Amino acid sequence: MKRKEFFSSLFAFVPLVLGFLGITKMSADFLSPQRGKAKIRKIFATSLEDLKIGESKEMTDLKGKEFLLIRTDDRKVKALSTTCTHLGCTVHWEQDKNRFYCPCHQGVFTPDGEVVSGPPPRNLATYNTEIIGDNVYIYLKDKEA
Amino acid sequence: MSLAQWFKTSFPVDNEALVEMSSEPIPNHLKKWWWALGGTPLYMFVVQVITGLLLVFYYQPDVNGAYDSISRITNELPYGWLIRSIHKWSANIMIASVILHMMRVFFTQTYRKPRELNWMFGVTLFLLTLIFGFSGYSLIFEQMSYWAMKVGTEIAGATPIIGDWLATFIKGGEDLGQHTLTRMHIFHVMILPLAMVALIGLHVYLIRTLGVSDLHFKNEPKTEKKTFPFWPDHATTELVMVALIMFVLITLALLFPVHMGERANPNVTPIHIKPEWYFYPVFRWLKLTNLFWGVMGPMIFIAILYLWPFIDRFFEKIAPGKDLSFWIGILGTLIMIVFFLWEILGH
Repeated sequence: MKRKEFFSSLFAFVPLVLGFLGITKMSADFLSPQRGKAKIRKIFATSLEDLKIGESKEMTDLKGKEFLLIRTDDRKVKALSTTCTHLGCTVHWEQDKNRFYCPCHQGVFTPDGEVVSGPPPRNLATYNTEIIGDNVYIYLKDKEA
Repeated sequence: MSLAQWFKTSFPVDNEALVEMSSEPIPNHLKKWWWALGGTPLYMFVVQVITGLLLVFYYQPDVNGAYDSISRITNELPYGWLIRSIHKWSANIMIASVILHMMRVFFTQTYRKPRELNWMFGVTLFLLTLIFGFSGYSLIFEQMSYWAMKVGTEIAGATPIIGDWLATFIKGGEDLGQHTLTRMHIFHVMILPLAMVALIGLHVYLIRTLGVSDLHFKNEPKTEKKTFPFWPDHATTELVMVALIMFVLITLALLFPVHMGERANPNVTPIHIKPEWYFYPVFRWLKLTNLFWGVMGPMIFIAILYLWPFIDRFFEKIAPGKDLSFWIGILGTLIMIVFFLWEILGH
């Protein structure tokens, strides 16, 4: 290939390839919008009067997912996600077996959300809670815009 | 100028070239009915396109309207239940026939040189067919299909390196919702059909240019001619096959019509959950392994499928005449059958 031909090809193809890569990157970004960092919000969940020791309450977070609020002690309240950490199915509470069970791939968790058996890689997620006076507050992530 | 002449001038197609194109010599083994099944997925795809076009006139890709629009198609519109049933059953037959076709190609080793690339196109068509099934099922937005979509997108999210990007790309955000349904719809009715048509074109083009591989059997009567013409001999066989498959399809649609399941509830996973039958082995595999291997297993399987013509060549080199590929194929098939039955019988 002569030098002139080489530079002609270079000038023809380099912009074409760069343009193609640019459009691909732009399309990929357009179709996979980056998530902004979700803000944490502190929200009133319940009062201790409405949640006796040993009782639990089903609630919904800001993204519409259910979680459980469990009063474990006089001034201790635990908030436990019911979303399985394996592939996102909802775990079911099995009273007779005293466990959470995921029907998708047979993950089993203790009442505290710890993995007992099956493929889940982590314990059930928990939300931070705070008790001020008689009121229980929960820290939730803002719903994505 | 007569109308015929005008047409010939305006549309100058060489008839002789057309006759030559359709007179491809076909090897004798394709006279056997069992060997004339390669076109079945293609016929089913045509049925899918026709019934899909009808369904898309009424389907609403909207989280609040999708279920109701399918319910209307199924329960209210004239012949809606039949069109939807044919759409569903043709999808199932398409997937089953693609699997059988792949097994036939595998065990007769017709992926060997010079057909390696066409085997790879075939594997891609198989994957596209599965994604077609997955995206179509997701559109129904009933309980089972919603949770199948959930598990499917989470699996994508667990893919090493690109998982996060892939999951966001499929879901259109952090969680399943309107963006996910819109994307599934676009994939199902636009991107996948276009990709499918392009790949089927390439697959058939390579079959034409490389020719159908010539197979021989024991106790085969010796004939002077090793081939027979596509037109009209093989075309007639194919037409009979089409009639037979259509009969089976309509019978299945009439005897086992589609029903509406429970409306999707993003807060509660059904206690008895199963995917569509073609994902049973993967679903069982996910129960047996941790998340990493649960995702990597099927990916390694697909990579092996793609590279099989070269792996087979390597086996032939290290152990010539031992039929290692055949026995590995038998083992793989048995494992799939065991996982499949285990998922049916287990919980």
